[in-house]
Amino acid sequence: MSTSTTDRPATGGRGTPPTGEKHRTPVRHGWPARHERLTAGGFLAPAVLLVSLLLLAPFVWTVHRSFFADTRTSPFSWFDNYTRFASDPALTRSIQNTLLWVAGTVVLPFVLGLAIACMTDATRFSRLARLCVVLPYALSGSAVAVVWNFMLTTDGAVNQVLTAVNLDSFAQGWLLTWPGNTVVMIIANAWQATGVAVILFLVGLQSIPPETLEAGSLDGAGAWQQFRHIILPQLRPVSIIVIGMSLVNGLKSFDLIWVLTQGGPGRATETLAVSMYNETFLELRPGAGAAIAVVLTVIVLAASWLYLRRQLDVKGG
Amino acid sequence: MSASGRTRSASAPLARRRFLAGAAAGAAVLTAGGCARGDSTSAQPGNTSISNDNATWDDGYRAAGRELEKITGYALRPLSNPSVTSYQQVVQMTLQTSKATDLVKWASGYQLKRLARAGGLTDLSDVWSTYQAKGWVRGTGRDAVSYRGKAYGIPLYESYYVLFYSKPVFRKLKLSAPRDWGELLHCAEVLKRNKITPFLASQTGGWPAIEWFQELVTKVDPHFYRKLVAGKASYTDDPARRAMDIWHDFMRRGWMTSPDFDQARGPGALKAGTVGMFLHGTWQAQGMTAAGMKPGVDYGAFILPTVRSTTPKSVIAESGVFTVPARAASHDAALANVGAWLAPPVQRVWSDFLQDSSANPTVRSNNPVVAGLQRDVTRERRLPLIRYWEASPPSLIQGNTNDLGGFMAGQTSPATTLRRMQERAQDEWAAWRRDEA
Repeated sequence: MSTSTTDRPATGGRGTPPTGEKHRTPVRHGWPARHERLTAGGFLAPAVLLVSLLLLAPFVWTVHRSFFADTRTSPFSWFDNYTRFASDPALTRSIQNTLLWVAGTVVLPFVLGLAIACMTDATRFSRLARLCVVLPYALSGSAVAVVWNFMLTTDGAVNQVLTAVNLDSFAQGWLLTWPGNTVVMIIANAWQATGVAVILFLVGLQSIPPETLEAGSLDGAGAWQQFRHIILPQLRPVSIIVIGMSLVNGLKSFDLIWVLTQGGPGRATETLAVSMYNETFLELRPGAGAAIAVVLTVIVLAASWLYLRRQLDVKGG
Repeated sequence: MSASGRTRSASAPLARRRFLAGAAAGAAVLTAGGCARGDSTSAQPGNTSISNDNATWDDGYRAAGRELEKITGYALRPLSNPSVTSYQQVVQMTLQTSKATDLVKWASGYQLKRLARAGGLTDLSDVWSTYQAKGWVRGTGRDAVSYRGKAYGIPLYESYYVLFYSKPVFRKLKLSAPRDWGELLHCAEVLKRNKITPFLASQTGGWPAIEWFQELVTKVDPHFYRKLVAGKASYTDDPARRAMDIWHDFMRRGWMTSPDFDQARGPGALKAGTVGMFLHGTWQAQGMTAAGMKPGVDYGAFILPTVRSTTPKSVIAESGVFTVPARAASHDAALANVGAWLAPPVQRVWSDFLQDSSANPTVRSNNPVVAGLQRDVTRERRLPLIRYWEASPPSLIQGNTNDLGGFMAGQTSPATTLRRMQERAQDEWAAWRRDEA
């Protein structure tokens, strides 16, 4: 083959041609250019096809389904499935829980991850400490839920310990009353998710040039001032990633909730992802489930786009 | 061998192409394999496949299948999917395809009506008529498996909702199985005084939340229950309110376990003496044996007494069914097997395996506790009532079960719970009737 990916002209076709290709014109016309586009298209096609088939087509179908009722004949119902967000208390509670999850999964892993990374970065037992924190991240969400279920049920380990140390008054049904049940599940999730934040922050900490800290130290900056004005600004790229990941994880939280409470009791702990499953597969309302899926997708995309656009612009700038 | 630069540059693309060609071939093989018809549901000589959502029953199906084979020439080949939700999705989807199994285990009542309404099931009315003529099935059960006058299911077993109790604990506290409401309350008071939680009640997993509701409503007024589940009475009517008040009172007195108590731990709790009575289906007898308890020695069972002595006696009966997909790979073999399923030799083996009550009234359970309950149901002429889970349209039941779970967790009062249930009932019954029209 005369044309390969290694002898393409520079992007845009303007300016100096690549070294060793001075005999070629910067912009080619006719068969070679078309051939090159076809080759590029050929390489792109499998990925585009797979994404279209497995992601975009189901999404379009889901949007389409959300405009049809859940009766036997499934007539077109305009926005009826979407208006349930205003009228169904279970969905209102689901949105509240989703917001709680987002706040919790962003704040807790970020704060705890940063604190643990800073504290274990230079200590003697840092490797062991890090391992202990990171280990839960290797567990599946369902396994974590089973362990926490053992602890949080009314006759579970937490209440037994409280009773053993004469703190019976604090013993309660941790998974039974809202918003406490959602809060304890967020804590369980943070226990697992903090590990990855720690890893990322450690990578960030190790990439900070020691000279900057030495310079700060020579200028008389204390530990807090060094952290606030030297370390933290340099951890900004890592922080963006940690918060971005936590944001999306919070919005799509499902497995832990499903195993611990199945969204109950009385749909009190459902998030939008759980409501979507519940409406579609348990209440047998695929149209309502599709509407929740669309709303959740829009929220995830909007939140991710708004956050990343702002943060990455600042970074890029 | 060291290669020159030229050799390297010539061999690298070749290796890459080989790699790409290999990867493409591998992907093609995988894709072809994925598209190929699996053989799990295809016809196998001498066998009928059965979709099943309880893997612990596989041995029982095989044992009963060996008896069936003597009669029909076809054994049973169970294909289990233990996740109920996933099982329901798979069955509903495969019914419309050529990959349906020969027999499908399903629930009776409105769960079956919904499946029959979607089409794809075989009319088993003739099989029912034959069974009725032989006296191998109770005629009262036909409504629960019928849709628009045609029967689509053959009962798989017949379980009753009863209260299991620990005989050693009752003996120690000088208690006996209560015969009326007053004695039941006395048992609960004595158990509570001795730091034993009188009743197991749970909403873990969702559906158990219906158990005390259905039991108390039927023991307040069984005729009202029939009207309620048929959409002809209101959840805010007096009998429902009375039942919920009793339940609420039991909870306030600390007579119920915490709602997040897992039912799977019920037999163990009964054995350990931490719980006095466990409301559940008689199929739980198998679990009692697994926990090392002997029927009649370590545990007994009784049907909850009526709240008033004048109230007609009733029992909640639950029966799974066999259905035959119209597109079953071995349709004739499947029909032959459902036609012989209730034959006494097959039911003898099946009932012994389950340690539960057979759907064939001529077959007595070998478990003395269950056999005693069978005698009680016949002697007292108890009104058989369909379980709440199958008694109304599925969307209504699912929503109301969630509400009952919320009530158990103390989120809503009895009145608010019933009001919500009634609001949903109005909507869902209207939707069901609209669909039927």
